[in-house]
Amino acid sequence: MDALDLIDAVQSVADGVLFGATYALLGIGFTLVFGVMHKINLSYAAASIGAAYASLLIVAGIKAPAILVFLAAAAAGGIIGGLIYLVGFKFIPLANPLATLMSTVGLLLLIDEIIVHTTAGVPLNYPALFSDVIVPVGPFNLRGDLMFVFALSCACMVVLLLLLYRTRLGLATRAVSQQPTASELCGISITRVNVLTFVITGVVGGIAGAMTGAAIGMLSPLLSLPLTVKGLIVTVIGGLGSIPGAIIAGLVVGGLENVFQFFRGVSERDLYIMMLLFAFLIFRPGGVFAMPVGRD
Amino acid sequence: MDFYLGLMQIIGVHTLLGLSAYCVLLTGQVSLAQAGFFAIGAYVAGMLTVLAQWPLVPALGVSAVVAGAMACAVGFPALRVKGLMLVVATIAFGEAVRLFFFNFTYQVQAGNLKLGPHGAEGFRQIRYFPENGWTTLDVMLFIWTVVALVMAGVWWLDRSRAGAVLRAVGEDELAAQSTGINITAVKVSAMTIGGVIAGIGGGIFAHYTTHIEHVQFGVVLATFAIAYPILGGLSNVLGTLLAVIFIQGFLIEGLRFMGDWRNLLFGGLIVLAMNVRPRGLLDAGAMLALKRLVVPSKDRNGA
Repeated sequence: MDALDLIDAVQSVADGVLFGATYALLGIGFTLVFGVMHKINLSYAAASIGAAYASLLIVAGIKAPAILVFLAAAAAGGIIGGLIYLVGFKFIPLANPLATLMSTVGLLLLIDEIIVHTTAGVPLNYPALFSDVIVPVGPFNLRGDLMFVFALSCACMVVLLLLLYRTRLGLATRAVSQQPTASELCGISITRVNVLTFVITGVVGGIAGAMTGAAIGMLSPLLSLPLTVKGLIVTVIGGLGSIPGAIIAGLVVGGLENVFQFFRGVSERDLYIMMLLFAFLIFRPGGVFAMPVGRD
Repeated sequence: MDFYLGLMQIIGVHTLLGLSAYCVLLTGQVSLAQAGFFAIGAYVAGMLTVLAQWPLVPALGVSAVVAGAMACAVGFPALRVKGLMLVVATIAFGEAVRLFFFNFTYQVQAGNLKLGPHGAEGFRQIRYFPENGWTTLDVMLFIWTVVALVMAGVWWLDRSRAGAVLRAVGEDELAAQSTGINITAVKVSAMTIGGVIAGIGGGIFAHYTTHIEHVQFGVVLATFAIAYPILGGLSNVLGTLLAVIFIQGFLIEGLRFMGDWRNLLFGGLIVLAMNVRPRGLLDAGAMLALKRLVVPSKDRNGA
């Protein structure tokens, strides 16, 4: 391989890592809900895309700057997150894991179909910031819009970590995820923590959806299934319940995706990601940051 | 009339898919790999009848064995993990199978036609039924004979000691293990049985659609596979059949008159069904009520 190919390869990895920040956000959302409720919310990625769509709807009337669109997406994500809790979790007995799994599948299909119904299935353009800025670093070029996506995602992660480890709400959330019964005895309302977790992960998801739209330049209902799969992959590789793990796994998956795409073409790209994941689960089922195994 | 026969074919094949997931769900494992085994069955059976000119029944047998062997091989590593990890591992496997067929090309020249799977274009011309003069009715009867046999088999399995062992593992692994049940063996067996059933279903699917391609075997199909038994309830194989009729017959075909709104209702009704009947449409309580309807006198004596 000559030098030019090497430069291209490194360039595509850099793009992938920057885009991987959105995977990391999705992974965090899956991980948080799983940590608190020990349930999978399969409708999460669809809800994120839905929030991004909703933000377009909100600002459709006025000619709003891109940053306002992103804020609208975050707000819409929070609302959708709360609704998902209400419809898919509130009235279903938690002792039955299959029922909530199925109800979130139903919600995934429902959100997808609402999107298709309102937009007639046509992909919509999504605004981006700094899309005309290109920062040359040596022989490489870093795209301004991807850099912004990366920076905003990182800021979002920092805020989330502060929220979890520096506030009373975060303390309550972590308490519920460790010992639901004991935390209820300490006067923490589990329902309240659950609702807030869904709203917070919804906000994160809304931002992730908006960032995906900004990085790709458009939104399509076809995005939600691949994003669901990628988000789950990131969650598992990073280790369930581990936020730093999800962040690193998101960036790694984003980078690797582009490595495989560069060397083997787009049609085989995901095949290798899937095989890698399968091998990963067999040899290191607890994720990269697995806790030492103990009795539960 | 042909429309209803076609619908019956679809319901039959999807019942097989649902039953394959039912076996795995009995042990408490959520496997989204069933679509992968279904795809393997479809491609193997299709290639045997089209490329090797085999008759259908032996081809289905081979596809069942291949899919079952694959399920067994995947089961050993995959069933070491539980819950969400297993869901993701099986999604990964299913997607890997789908993407394998996306990149898989093996064609032979036959006359002026090229036969065999062709990557993204899929596998066309699986013309066993029309070439051998089967009518839609014949195909429908054949499918339902297979469905009835498989269903009777799973029913019998469910009622036998093996079924009790499967359910014991599904209810409480630790308790099952302490009574001396080899959990890994039970789970891998359930996975293998599921693989065999999915292989047969896939083989039939390939022949009645006559054209298969990788997109048909994606995550959506895998989700449908587990949706049938969960929605129908795990107390009984009839629940799966009921759920398939509910989804394929009512939600997909019956609501066609609603046009675009049908798809919206589809997801919504699944959510509603899970809220109203979290243990499935045909749960243990409903079965008991049905039994009372059928044999009221015996029940009164018992009570």
